Amino acid sequence: MSAFAIGIIGYGLGVIGAGIGIGLSAHGAATGMARQPEMQSRLFTVFILGAAFSEALALIGLVLALIA
Amino acid sequence: MQEVIAHKASAPVTPFMSQYTVWLIIAVCVCILVMVLAAKKVSLIPEGRFFSGIEQLTNWFRWDIGYNTIGPEADKHIPFLAALFFFILTSNLIGLIPGVACPTGVIGTTFALALASFIYFNYYGFKTHGFLKYMKSFAPEGVFFPMNIIVWLLELISCFVRLVTLAVRLFANMYAGHLILGAFALLSALFFAPILQGFTGGALLGALPSVLWMALLILMYAMEIMVACIQAYVFTMLSAVYIQLAIATEH
Repeated sequence: MSAFAIGIIGYGLGVIGAGIGIGLSAHGAATGMARQPEMQSRLFTVFILGAAFSEALALIGLVLALIA
Repeated sequence: MQEVIAHKASAPVTPFMSQYTVWLIIAVCVCILVMVLAAKKVSLIPEGRFFSGIEQLTNWFRWDIGYNTIGPEADKHIPFLAALFFFILTSNLIGLIPGVACPTGVIGTTFALALASFIYFNYYGFKTHGFLKYMKSFAPEGVFFPMNIIVWLLELISCFVRLVTLAVRLFANMYAGHLILGAFALLSALFFAPILQGFTGGALLGALPSVLWMALLILMYAMEIMVACIQAYVFTMLSAVYIQLAIATEH
């Protein structure tokens, strides 16, 4: 297997974690918004931040897969 | 695909000006031009879509990132944060025009932006607390002695990691987005190519996947517009959070 293929597989493995992370933050934001609709804008900010933090890991994986 | 990337990686490095630098300068010019035009006609009742749009945007920025995140002393930090936000937004959006090299799609630009943010929040941390107290404030109070030092060390490392993650997050988002758009465009061209050589029924049937890839490309393009706005917001938001953490006084 070439290094590129191994990198792609590694990226796929890394994305699992990021997917779970973004899903969890979306779940939390949706539940919070349903319980307290007046906090919607604040919760949305927190959700975007949480999603950005987990998404960064997947993107670092993608960049590493392409560079390596 | 691999050849394209390899070609991109081995492109000759020009010492003075690259494609990215040119578009960086254009993005800065566009950003300054729009803001100067909007600031020239500041009035109590904004007229027209352009002026009221810019006013809405700055007002939202001031409340959402300024007062909601940093708190009452936000006014001091808003010029820096707004400069960051509008510059990143302009260069992200300018990069979406086909044929333009996205200025924030290189690690150099994003690292410089992250370094500016890093120096800024540390400077204000030192200024409000003094050197020793700011250094101490990394470790939370109420942790017993030996753990104290370990927590402090970890927090110090995480402070420097902020610099890397800020830079890499923006760079990777832009770079990966453009790579995906490029891959879809290449694929839709690949399936379409046989038609250009000879218009036959077989070639027409073979070109059908090209329509699918094109639809996906348009969908991804819409998503990239969203990502461009969100990443500018996230970068600025995180800078604001770091500033707030640095200048926060313990109660």
